[in-house]
Amino acid sequence: MKKRLTIALALALLTPMPGRAENRTLTISVYGFAQDAYKKLVYDPFEAQCGCKLVVETGNSVERLAKMEANKGSPVIDMAVVSMADGLQAARQGLTDKIDVARLGNFAKLYDIAKDPNGDGMSVGYTFYATSIVYRSDKVRIDSWADLLSPKLAGHVAIADIGTNQGPPTLFMLGKALDKDTPDLAAPIDAIGAHKADIVTFYVRASQIVQLMQQEEIWAAPIGRFAWEGFKKMNLPVAWANPKEGQTGGMNVMVLTHGGKNQDLALQFMDFWLSTEIQTALAEKLVDSPANREVKVAPEVAENLTYGEDTVKALELIPSAVALANREAWLSRWNEKVGQ
Amino acid sequence: MFEKRAEAFVLIAPAALFSLAVFVAPVLALLSEGFHFEGHWSLQPLSAFFASSLNQAVFWRTLKIAALVTAAAAGLGYLAAQAIVDIKGGGKGRMVAMVVLPLMVSPVARTYAWIVILGRTGIVNRALIFVGLTDEPLRILFSETAIFIGLLQLLLPLMILSLIGALENLPRDAVAAARVLGANDLQIFVKIILPLTREGFAVGGTLVFAGSMTAYITPAVLGGAKVLMLETLLYQRVSIANDLVSAGVIASLLIVMSFAANLVMRRIAKARTA
Repeated sequence: MKKRLTIALALALLTPMPGRAENRTLTISVYGFAQDAYKKLVYDPFEAQCGCKLVVETGNSVERLAKMEANKGSPVIDMAVVSMADGLQAARQGLTDKIDVARLGNFAKLYDIAKDPNGDGMSVGYTFYATSIVYRSDKVRIDSWADLLSPKLAGHVAIADIGTNQGPPTLFMLGKALDKDTPDLAAPIDAIGAHKADIVTFYVRASQIVQLMQQEEIWAAPIGRFAWEGFKKMNLPVAWANPKEGQTGGMNVMVLTHGGKNQDLALQFMDFWLSTEIQTALAEKLVDSPANREVKVAPEVAENLTYGEDTVKALELIPSAVALANREAWLSRWNEKVGQ
Repeated sequence: MFEKRAEAFVLIAPAALFSLAVFVAPVLALLSEGFHFEGHWSLQPLSAFFASSLNQAVFWRTLKIAALVTAAAAGLGYLAAQAIVDIKGGGKGRMVAMVVLPLMVSPVARTYAWIVILGRTGIVNRALIFVGLTDEPLRILFSETAIFIGLLQLLLPLMILSLIGALENLPRDAVAAARVLGANDLQIFVKIILPLTREGFAVGGTLVFAGSMTAYITPAVLGGAKVLMLETLLYQRVSIANDLVSAGVIASLLIVMSFAANLVMRRIAKARTA
């Protein structure tokens, strides 16, 4: 027993104490996805360059925003990446500060759409993705978002849940296809409610769709371009639709915590992340589509990304203010028409 | 005695304080979110929650599935536990190990396996088509049936293990005596085995019922947004709407219902002595 205690004590002493080694620490809050790649391509090189320590917190947008709100008085994190709409919400809640873009040397290289997505100077886009419909080209042909609800796909289609990043954009485009594109998304939600029995499931993760398509449960589903690689690897004829109403999508943005203690370092990190070199590295590993227009990648890489001026210009994004004003109403209408 | 008691309190105090500070207090703080309205303690959030027809439907669905899973687990559990108890020699240990084995696999992996098994091209549908029970693959995934199957497989071992313990303590000659007196199998089960193993049933039943009520992964993966249960609704309220009030109400409901299940089961167990 005594021996065990001694070993436990020794182990406890060996555990490093937090926050003692480097004198400067930058705390960032990011999505949990692809962290191994980010560590190798972004975090480690940045630590080497700045001689500082990077602390990474992960979680979904809502969790991380709730944490920022809870620590508003004495912020823990210095910068965060969130969805475009959450960027606007954080700004409205006073959780973020204006970004001094003069200090971002790579700012001018960004696509216009990424420079100030919410028009308030509080966020900078670092990646975006197109959303369209992936489908089994041997079973159906998709030319319009309305095809998702066509009889030929009944019982063979999955649609993104309203709570996912792909949910509202899909409804937005379905509304356009139905010629009733009001910001409350009432017509598309009602249409999905009416066809509920024909929809296999309302998915929450793109990886679910890969499995369902592999098992031939479904023939079509709206997905983000970042998930396309998984479909191409399947031994099935799958295609990426080019609907006549266009493709939709989303953008993720960087924000600077209000009253953060390390804003200089945070801006330095943002600029590093937006640089052509880092954005190229992330693009080549298919982690993020570049927001930096100077990034050049091979065609086979570009195929898996949302890449190039024309693609980016053609994206139909839901304005953040519209999303924020309607989010709760979308959810309650969805629950009323689809959830029960 | 008192001295010992005081000593016991002193010994318990550090652990009790620790769990009060890091478990009870935060949980109460979290739950209290669901009982505040305009700065006062209130049941308004609870009544607002039940005013929504969706929430009502989800509540009853959760209760129904948990009850059905508990009933099915009891039925299958008695058969399996009796069979295991009847095995002579080392075979019994091996069978118990087989029952315990699934508990060692992550619920995520177990639940994902059901997606493959219950799918249109899965083994269940292929078997049904092969024996001619259906021409078209049945849609089992993303339904209440799928959640029921997933939860039953997830929680059945807990029922079997509780019943094995109870059946092993059952006086063997009681069954033999009943048989000599002319009781058939059904009578033996209802009049002898059931009353004498009610405590094991109460423990297993509570574990299965509370487990079904509060499981998240199985309803999320096998049911999805089409078949919401209380836990998946809770996740939706928090992660999409950042609505901690409804989340507090749902969490309180889950805790209260788990305690209620325990009370009901204990009542059943006590009825034996009455």
